[in-house]
Amino acid sequence: MTSRKPPTTSSRGGGVTPAPTTTSSGLPTLSSDDMCPVCKTIRYLNRDMEFLINPECYHSMCSACVNRLFNEGPNQCPYAGCHRTLRRKGFRSAFFGDLSVEREVDIRRRVSQVFNQAEDDFQTLRDYNNYLQMVEDLTFDLVNGDEATKRKAEGELQQWEAEHKADIERNKRVGREQDEQSRRRLAAEREAARQRRLDAIKEAEEEKLEKIKIREAEIDNLERGGALPDQQRVQLKRRGKQAVDAAANLATSASITTTTAATDSVGKLSIRGLKEKKKEPKPEGPYDPFGGLDLQPSRYKIHPGLKHPSVEKYRLDQGHVTGGYSFEEYTSRAMFEAFAGLGVFIEDEKEVGVGLSASEVVGMGAAMAAVGGDGMDLD
Amino acid sequence: MATEDARYRESSQYRLWSFSPTQLSALREKTNAAARARISDRLLSHPLPATSSRDLSAPTSNANTPDPDGNGNSTPALPEFLTPAEELTLVGFYISETLRASEMLHYADEIKATAAMFLKRFYITNSIMTYPPQEMLIVALFFACKVESGHVNLSEYTKTFNKSPEEVLAGEFLLCQGLRFAFDVKHPFRALRGAMMELASLKDMQADLKRLDAAEARARKILQFSPLMTDAYFHYTPSQIMLAALSLADRGLAERLIQETFHFVAMEGNSADTPGANGGAGEGNNNKNRANEEKAAIIGSHLRDKVLGAVEACRDMLSRELPERKEHWTNKPFIKTQITPLRKKLLKCKDPERWNLVELQRVRRQQKLDSDDEDDGGRKVKKEEDGDVFGGELGHSAKKRKVTVKEEDPFGEPLRKVTVKKEEDPFGGML
Repeated sequence: MTSRKPPTTSSRGGGVTPAPTTTSSGLPTLSSDDMCPVCKTIRYLNRDMEFLINPECYHSMCSACVNRLFNEGPNQCPYAGCHRTLRRKGFRSAFFGDLSVEREVDIRRRVSQVFNQAEDDFQTLRDYNNYLQMVEDLTFDLVNGDEATKRKAEGELQQWEAEHKADIERNKRVGREQDEQSRRRLAAEREAARQRRLDAIKEAEEEKLEKIKIREAEIDNLERGGALPDQQRVQLKRRGKQAVDAAANLATSASITTTTAATDSVGKLSIRGLKEKKKEPKPEGPYDPFGGLDLQPSRYKIHPGLKHPSVEKYRLDQGHVTGGYSFEEYTSRAMFEAFAGLGVFIEDEKEVGVGLSASEVVGMGAAMAAVGGDGMDLD
Repeated sequence: MATEDARYRESSQYRLWSFSPTQLSALREKTNAAARARISDRLLSHPLPATSSRDLSAPTSNANTPDPDGNGNSTPALPEFLTPAEELTLVGFYISETLRASEMLHYADEIKATAAMFLKRFYITNSIMTYPPQEMLIVALFFACKVESGHVNLSEYTKTFNKSPEEVLAGEFLLCQGLRFAFDVKHPFRALRGAMMELASLKDMQADLKRLDAAEARARKILQFSPLMTDAYFHYTPSQIMLAALSLADRGLAERLIQETFHFVAMEGNSADTPGANGGAGEGNNNKNRANEEKAAIIGSHLRDKVLGAVEACRDMLSRELPERKEHWTNKPFIKTQITPLRKKLLKCKDPERWNLVELQRVRRQQKLDSDDEDDGGRKVKKEEDGDVFGGELGHSAKKRKVTVKEEDPFGEPLRKVTVKKEEDPFGGML
């Protein structure tokens, strides 16, 4: 739609053939923008000359040449040494002046269509970064590599595309949906803003009208010589009513918005850049310093009947009581020590393990030997 | 489910310092053999103790680890070593000395018992031929005071033993290493209180409180001596030791307590779910069953016989060293016939490098400093230093030999000061 404008000197002002730069040999060189390399037409002769390229080989030529050469179907590139077969359909005007940039952008577009995973698809940020690195390496090979690496990279790309067709399609769809969503959201926001502006204007106008009406009424009243204070009251009342109305409107509209937000929460959010909130963690209850350890005694019970004469006298001693010493602590500790480890049989446990006694293990061994013997007999 | 037993199994006493009898005797024999090998190595590399230093090539560090393949080719020059049994007798003697010393100083029961156990534990993995027991005794007692939070002033403490503070402090880290840094010794004293509380709360015991008091007094006396002199702390848990002591004092009471604790746990589930039990009720019963099974595993009647057996075995062990034997360990003829020869023998076969704790600590520090700066000069200094050690040390020990042989009783001097006043503190230094 736009023809490339010559970036530097313009030959527009008429004049003879532009010679903007001179090489050391003295020969005038023409910018490729100013002369078609195929038919050697210069812009001076054809003001509407437009250069087209084909992403097959990125050789530029003027639109007249394209029409001339490729009207009758595919043909070879007219550049010397370039044997690629081009079609007319593939020609387009370059967006960038530098064709190598144009080519790189094309390649990048293509690669990004194939490798279209998002960060959410990866378990860790590191994985995602590694993936990006891999993609970038491949792209670099495609753009700057020599013939062999280019071919290799191309092969890899195609293989990946073939293998992950479904994934790519899905990601593409997701991406499209996201684009669509954000587009819709933006549109909705814009719409809402416009609506607000309109409302504001309308309101202002209404107020103006109201004011005028009131003023007229006042004047009428004055004409009739009526009571001003009464009118004032009316006015105040009206104002109050307005305020109430406005408040009610606000409330209803707010409720409407909340309901709409509730009904279709997708795509109607008006705040940009908000991450989706995670679900609230369940309330954990009070902190347990023992991590769920059950310290309830199982062999004995702590009851107030547990007393010892030599402890009792301390119970009456001011020195101990004032210090805040808890006699229950002493009782529970003494009881714990009296019963802890009663069922720990060190000789058995250290020799064979917790929960088994040496004699049992011997018995088990004998039983196993007996079973083994039986099996041997059966065989 | 954190039962009392599971919580006891978490303690360092169970994890590090509980052994079966065979394990314990094997450990002692291994320690003895390692000490023999190492000392004979050292004596052979310096054959004549009287002469001054020679080239020192024997390694001085990492000697704490037993040397399994030490060459036992004993030449006539080697002295006769102590056997494991003789070592055990000597350790027993020094533990009785510990108890006597702490009694003189009126220390709390826990301090006495902890000091005795420290000494006992230390000489399981270290031979009495390697480190001097008399010095270690004083160190263990001092350290036990710290551990049981009965603070004593170091200078006052050392005055009572006619030692210098350095001598006590030099052995402290050594003792900690020997204890594998497990300082918490679980004693049966407070457990006895708990048992008495439980017994006194039984209905039919209310009338018999005198009997309880008498039993407690006797059991406490036993606990203060018998388990410390035997290996009970290594083979039984404090509660079992406590019950064994109680059983020695009053067999009926101990058995009563065990009967009350371990009893038949009825399986209620089977009888309840017969009439029209739907799924929910069945599940509830299952849960109940499981709870009952768990309960049975903790207080079931099958455990009772095992506990009774363990208490009985512990009782046998304790009855070998009843408090009445206290006099046996201190009477003159016994010491003259049994202990003195062993001590003489010990002085002949002691480890020449380890015997002097102060010197040993100084050398180790010096080595640490030397190994820090790696230059050649430092190494030379170290060598000379080590040579010096032997010259100095031998002179010192020769002097000491005279002294120790002369004085029969390490605590013969009158003790002047009572450091920790402790008669009837039920909280055992807890406050």
